[in-house]
Amino acid sequence: MLRKEQNDLLTKTGPGTPMGQMFRGHWLPALLAEELPENECPPVRVKLLSERLLAWRDTQGHLALTDEFCAHRGVSLWFGRNEHNGLRCPYHGWKYDHTGQCIEVPSEPEESGFCKKIKLKSYPLVERGGVLWTYMGPPEKQPPLPEWEFAMMPADRRFMSKRTQECNWLQAMEGGIDSSHVSFLHSGELDRDPLFKGSKGNQYNMGDMKPVFEVVESAGGLFIGARRNAENGSYYWRITQWVMPAFTMIPPRADHPVHGHFWVPIDDENCWAWSFDYKVTRALAEKEVAAMRAGQGIHVTYVPGTYRPKANKDNDYLVDRAAQKVGRTYSGVEGIAMQDASLQESMGPVVDRAKENLVSTDNGIIMARHRLLRALKAMGKGETPPGIDLAHQRVRSAAFVLPPDKHFKDDAKEALVVQTGREHVTV
Amino acid sequence: MQSESARMSSAAEARYRINAPNSLPRAIKVIALDGPSEHVVKRLALARWNGATFFTATAFGSTPRKGESLVGWLNDLAGRTKNLIDEVNAADQVVMVATAGENVPVASLIGEACSLKRVMTTALIVGSAGKSDEALSKTLAQLRPWSLMLVIANAEEYIEDMLVALRA
Repeated sequence: MLRKEQNDLLTKTGPGTPMGQMFRGHWLPALLAEELPENECPPVRVKLLSERLLAWRDTQGHLALTDEFCAHRGVSLWFGRNEHNGLRCPYHGWKYDHTGQCIEVPSEPEESGFCKKIKLKSYPLVERGGVLWTYMGPPEKQPPLPEWEFAMMPADRRFMSKRTQECNWLQAMEGGIDSSHVSFLHSGELDRDPLFKGSKGNQYNMGDMKPVFEVVESAGGLFIGARRNAENGSYYWRITQWVMPAFTMIPPRADHPVHGHFWVPIDDENCWAWSFDYKVTRALAEKEVAAMRAGQGIHVTYVPGTYRPKANKDNDYLVDRAAQKVGRTYSGVEGIAMQDASLQESMGPVVDRAKENLVSTDNGIIMARHRLLRALKAMGKGETPPGIDLAHQRVRSAAFVLPPDKHFKDDAKEALVVQTGREHVTV
Repeated sequence: MQSESARMSSAAEARYRINAPNSLPRAIKVIALDGPSEHVVKRLALARWNGATFFTATAFGSTPRKGESLVGWLNDLAGRTKNLIDEVNAADQVVMVATAGENVPVASLIGEACSLKRVMTTALIVGSAGKSDEALSKTLAQLRPWSLMLVIANAEEYIEDMLVALRA
């Protein structure tokens, strides 16, 4: 359980909130690069950390992330004309450049320089790894660009998707580090999903339904180790990475692409679930990409023209009770992503954690909350929160078999950090 | 018309969740396995708890022999001797607290008793910052066979946060 004031502290991320300040210290995924496909393309509405913004790309290809609303009368610039190196409000013709600086106020004499007094709030927007990243913190504290391994891969070795999730970011993120639900909720997928099946690790997973967990603090967050029995007294380990505040990486299975997520607040009752897959030494196979586009693995299919999952709360997630009854899916919902999202959304927009009854196997979640609260306290004293240091981003999840007397943190140390030119350690 | 899932997962509907207690207090036995951990556990015991009780097993010094007595080395914080089996019988969960680098052979005795009685065990290792990997591994090796959940925490305060989260 968490006390109400602690829950509020961790779940509220709007301007001026401590948790919002932590998020604003990081580069965050804001849009897919495909959303701004060409110069002078239509602008895209973006809401992040409870701020209404507009992403656009000017005549020369400058990426812009500015206040959505015109400084004149508050019109949404989504209706704006993206022309001649600026975005023009269609109401009275005020025009802004990619930094948010007003460059024309047609009703005022040009010589008056009035337009120089008008500037919209704007944030940097840069492309890396097929993602447009933004930094919403104070300019003087802007960290170096992110170096998550997937983002450093060539385009043919990575795949990124995003979907909206209609609950607070923490609910969604906690699902990403809750290893013990996999054997239940996703049990049907290990043998069926083309991006999961065929791994020796799956046999260990299904052969030992009572994993033992080890939670170890890392510099950037946590290693969450799940240990299952393997042959001859050895252990099969799956190590999930959590890097503060919102990055999770799932342990690999066989030669399948490795995947993970970012959980980024849209506002306090909605978040973006970003989902990546990548390989280090080979291009993704056509059939792998096709499976991802078809909503398999950790991805989804969409309501056309949106990033809203096709199975969503408005259609009861297309729940199939017959499939649930015969065990084809455990909850009746199809696909790993929506199996998680349906349950997390059912908790309500912001779950009341004062009512929950956690158990010992929830220590990963308890520790993540503890680390976040500790980091918030340290931030109050001027410390930089974990996850910003590039070394914290150069991490990997892993799956391996170790003798019983070996500890993953020491004996599999190399498997848990980026090894240039080498694939993840996997079973 | 809105689907049932859409209607029922709204903030407005959350107000109608039943506001009644949904659990009974749990009996959680927190045992310090070594000298430095005893100080930590004593500090913890000063807080107000629902069902947590605190013990020290530091009187147990050596590697347990077969048939080792289960009495005489487990004490509550007032110094009264306690019987391990009685305490485990009355526990929903046992939390063992150890310090990285310390020798904690008593973990096997406690763990075995919990295993026999099917009581959940959690082991917490604190004080690992600044300790060598070898020192941590030594303690870890003694705890791992007897822990269904093992946590290596940098900050002592984690123990309190964990116990609060578990409604101890």
